[in-house]
Amino acid sequence: MVTREDVENIAILSKLFVAEEELDDLTKQMQEIVEFADAINNAPDSGEEFDNINNLSNVFREDVVVPSLPSEEILKNAPEQAEDHFLVRNHA
Amino acid sequence: MSQIKKIHDMLSSKEISCKELTEKYLTEIESSNGELNAYVNVTSDTALAQAKKVDAKIAGGEEIGLLEGVPMTLKDNLSTKDIETTCCSKILTGYKPIFNATVWDKLEKDGAVLLGKTNMDEFAMGSSCETSYFGGATNPFNTKHCAGGSSGGVASAVSGDIAAYGLGSDTGGSIRQPASFCGIVGLKPTYGAVSRYGLIAYASSLDQIGPITRTVEDASIVFDAISDYDPKDSTCQGSKGVRTYDTINNDIKGMKIGIAREYFEGVRDDVKDAILGAVKVYESLGAEVIYFDMPALKFALPVYYIIACAEASSNLGRYDGIRYGYKTEHYNGTHDMMCRTRSEGFGDEVKRRILLGTYVLSAGYYDAYYKKAQNLRGTIVKAFDDAFTKCDFVLAPTVPMTAFEMGHAVSDPVETYLTDICTVPVNIAGLPAVSVPCGFNKNGMPIGMQLIGNKFKEATILNAANTYEKAVPENFKNTKWGVKL
Repeated sequence: MVTREDVENIAILSKLFVAEEELDDLTKQMQEIVEFADAINNAPDSGEEFDNINNLSNVFREDVVVPSLPSEEILKNAPEQAEDHFLVRNHA
Repeated sequence: MSQIKKIHDMLSSKEISCKELTEKYLTEIESSNGELNAYVNVTSDTALAQAKKVDAKIAGGEEIGLLEGVPMTLKDNLSTKDIETTCCSKILTGYKPIFNATVWDKLEKDGAVLLGKTNMDEFAMGSSCETSYFGGATNPFNTKHCAGGSSGGVASAVSGDIAAYGLGSDTGGSIRQPASFCGIVGLKPTYGAVSRYGLIAYASSLDQIGPITRTVEDASIVFDAISDYDPKDSTCQGSKGVRTYDTINNDIKGMKIGIAREYFEGVRDDVKDAILGAVKVYESLGAEVIYFDMPALKFALPVYYIIACAEASSNLGRYDGIRYGYKTEHYNGTHDMMCRTRSEGFGDEVKRRILLGTYVLSAGYYDAYYKKAQNLRGTIVKAFDDAFTKCDFVLAPTVPMTAFEMGHAVSDPVETYLTDICTVPVNIAGLPAVSVPCGFNKNGMPIGMQLIGNKFKEATILNAANTYEKAVPENFKNTKWGVKL
């Protein structure tokens, strides 16, 4: 059972705001989705753990030095920047 | 006939210049995109600059490659250097990647002409293209219906003949389902056959990039061009030296086709009839049909939504209003800034999936949902391994129905999730599958079937699909739209 409090807590973990007036609707939708996901509890569990699809492990390559992207390029899309850094203000 | 080869011949023989060809496409995009809403960003200048280069090469007497000068499109979640890439989300509006996705790097080097970026469900989360920040793409067969999703824009553009081909991405059916709805071909490659570098992530263990084309031959040409080892994606192994084009015309006599009964539960009669019709075609071509059960498929849909949402909740954590994309205007403290930015920047479906993903990964629920789903993933993988000891490929419907009317999919999230039932098992098991048109319903809307192969067996399914296309070419229809070369 998904409660309003569950949705509020998950929203905090997800860094999302849920407005008070949206909370009932969203709780109902989440409950429906979780009920749908609950179907897996009727499945037989092999108990075997799944790792990755092509059974890859330790994918290494030679450590070749290549040029990095210049910082001015990386900062190009930043909403705010200053002195070659991303800028995060405490208030706005 | 292959659209790509046709264009290649026209360019090589100087029947048309690449500039004229590109202008033709751009004119058609201008006149039809208002109704199809396939493109969210038309890159005319880039396209014409590339066309000029191709024309210079032809004028100089040089030979051009098969994909050189062919006008195409990319789904808007594939990074294109200095060209806006939004994932059709408000949170990425204005974002211009500083690097290319590997697939675009390869096609750009091959001389492809990029007409623009195409519409999609926001962050590829949806089955009708309608969760797009820019509104949904419509279906060229009937614009009252959706193009499908999430790669709805690519499918609409290719089916509507305003791109010769395109690349989409498929996490739970996002290439195959819109291809099926729009009466064209969509190939979801084996997990690891195509580099995901530069594909903006939704669910990294399920995502694959693949071609959406008018013909099977085109899908083979494009797949061979993009399937390669890439050190920038540690899960990428490439095609392991196989060129699918070399075997596309092989005889399929004696090939074994598997039919799993579970794939037909809840499938509408018109779709079922079309698939069974295709089975008869294959039998007449000398293939053998084997029927079996795959009970593990019953759990594929919840397994998919749990794993996909869990991975999405982690992948989408990067949108924080600091490094790129949208940022809220007024806030008090950094937590508040991030929450406001994300709440204002993401649409409802994206928020729902982040919340569900966070829920199934949180303490107390992890074992019951995420871990259980992962174990079941292993069971589904084994079920397919077992199936491929009996057959060369599995034949199934791509979608249980034909394209929904616009507005239908957004009204009920869970009901819409159920429509992905036939496509998600392939992503869970990392397999290749191609959707091929196999008929029309009574209203003239296309029906698609999918051919599912064993890992890295793209050549087998493309060979079988191409054989079907040659036997039943009338299922590959033009619409009223497009350049009509």
